[in-house]
Amino acid sequence: MIAEQIVNGIVLGSMYALVALGYTLVFGVLDKLNFALSELFMLGGFVVIGSVGLGAPIWLAGVLVLVVCGLLGLVVEFVSFRKFTSPDAQVTAALSSLAVGLIMIDLVQKTWGGEPVSVPVPIEWRRANVAFFGMQIQVMKLVILAVTLVLMAVLHWLISRTAMGRNIRAVAESPAFATLLGIDVKRVNQQTFFIASALAGAGGLMFSLRNGIASSDIGFTFGLKALAIMAIGGMGDLRGAVLGGVLVGVIESLAIQFGFGKLGEVIVWALMILVLLARPGGLFGGAHTTEQRA
Amino acid sequence: MSQDILFITGVNILMAWSVYIILLSGSLSFANGGFMALGAYAAGVFTMKWGMDFYAALALAGVGTGLVGALVAYPALRTRGVYLILVTVGLSFIIQTLIQNTDYVGGVRGMTGMTGTTNWHVWGLIAIVGAGLFWLSRSHLQRQLDAVREDERVAASLGIDVVYLKVVCFAVGAGLAAIAGGLYSHYMVFINPDHFNIFVSIYVVLYVVLGGVNNVFGPVIGASVMTLLPELVRGLQSYRPLIFGAVIIVLLLVRPNGLLSFRLRTLGASKGGGA
Repeated sequence: MIAEQIVNGIVLGSMYALVALGYTLVFGVLDKLNFALSELFMLGGFVVIGSVGLGAPIWLAGVLVLVVCGLLGLVVEFVSFRKFTSPDAQVTAALSSLAVGLIMIDLVQKTWGGEPVSVPVPIEWRRANVAFFGMQIQVMKLVILAVTLVLMAVLHWLISRTAMGRNIRAVAESPAFATLLGIDVKRVNQQTFFIASALAGAGGLMFSLRNGIASSDIGFTFGLKALAIMAIGGMGDLRGAVLGGVLVGVIESLAIQFGFGKLGEVIVWALMILVLLARPGGLFGGAHTTEQRA
Repeated sequence: MSQDILFITGVNILMAWSVYIILLSGSLSFANGGFMALGAYAAGVFTMKWGMDFYAALALAGVGTGLVGALVAYPALRTRGVYLILVTVGLSFIIQTLIQNTDYVGGVRGMTGMTGTTNWHVWGLIAIVGAGLFWLSRSHLQRQLDAVREDERVAASLGIDVVYLKVVCFAVGAGLAAIAGGLYSHYMVFINPDHFNIFVSIYVVLYVVLGGVNNVFGPVIGASVMTLLPELVRGLQSYRPLIFGAVIIVLLLVRPNGLLSFRLRTLGASKGGGA
């Protein structure tokens, strides 16, 4: 049973990690919080519902989630971050993206209502199990894990191996020097927002596939936890976001297993506050090499 | 205008001021919804279960939450900017979840039976707090707070006890939020933890942002407009979050300091001391 809960925790944690990666990417590059990411996470499930409703097959719906959320990320960048470039504007940009998030919630509630909506996935998909070291594991969970791993691998490749990734790392290091080297900082910001938002959307897609529903309030109940996970892993630390996500996912699953129920939700926030006070650089290392810091 | 709208407007003004007081020292708190919950539940327990007098319960809830606020603030205020936002968001969630899991106050089912608040209490308190804040805005203390808000290191070099001022502001803000919560619970009769979710904290901060962050009246305007406008204009109610969000975004782009961003003439300025 405990092994099964640990697997559950890793699946849950991988979804947290996707959103946390988005938060940490944006923070690494711009030193700013993009609260709208939680709501793009929420939107992921609704994009699936909408596109399947319009007749798209499920794989296309998955691709659409990445594209639509990525494009919305560009809108967020334009509205809430483009103008607030000075270091003093940290809080202003955070508030502005929070307002964008509120609008997204409201629009979703206007379109689909306030109640959770079921995601049109064949029920066999969610029922199918495989035996794995004596445990029964839903195929869906393995799919989620596989997709998450692929996305993380792609992200790692993008950041560490491509010209775009090199530019992103340069801007994260110092926007001023990046500009001197001829890098278009605005373009790099847009790329960062697109990637971060697509990751958050993918997290939401996984979440809705696992639970079979999309709900307009998961942005604030689950999406915001990714914010805490980013802080636990170290703000701007990609590896920390993944490790932090899995750590928190496993802790929460075990808390449910041992009968703490909803009290488990306190753990992530308490851990975040402790980490911010004691080790502001994050739980895992903290001293960033260029490789780890997006 | 019905009594209820007047009451909610009053509570929102008090909450907006509680954020404003903390903001005076340069800290932005997303935990005031949580402090409101603490006050609402504490005052409820004092009157319902311990048979305490209404006013004593309110005062004790305010002072107690203020002390909790100070206790939390002392380490938390070592963090700044977005880090402090994260810590206070976390506090909000922790307080809500702890209340949900405390059976003594009804857990997720909530608590019921509190009565006693009238509009006179709320608006009386607004008059008192408003007078206090207006006096503060013309006092020497305000200039120390301005210094702390603008640049902590310079303020410290001028002999101002930065940590002390920040902790005091945080505690007073938390206490005021708690008293507003106590008034709220004794008007609504029934409360549950969902009444004090993270949205409450977010909305209150946005009221202050909307109204303007550098004078006493800004938060009042922000809170009243955003509470009253949807009630008064028919059809606007269902678009409240949409319009509110859009207004905040446009406002931040056009006037980053808020709608009513002017400084009250301080003691020094009125003597011709310049900026």
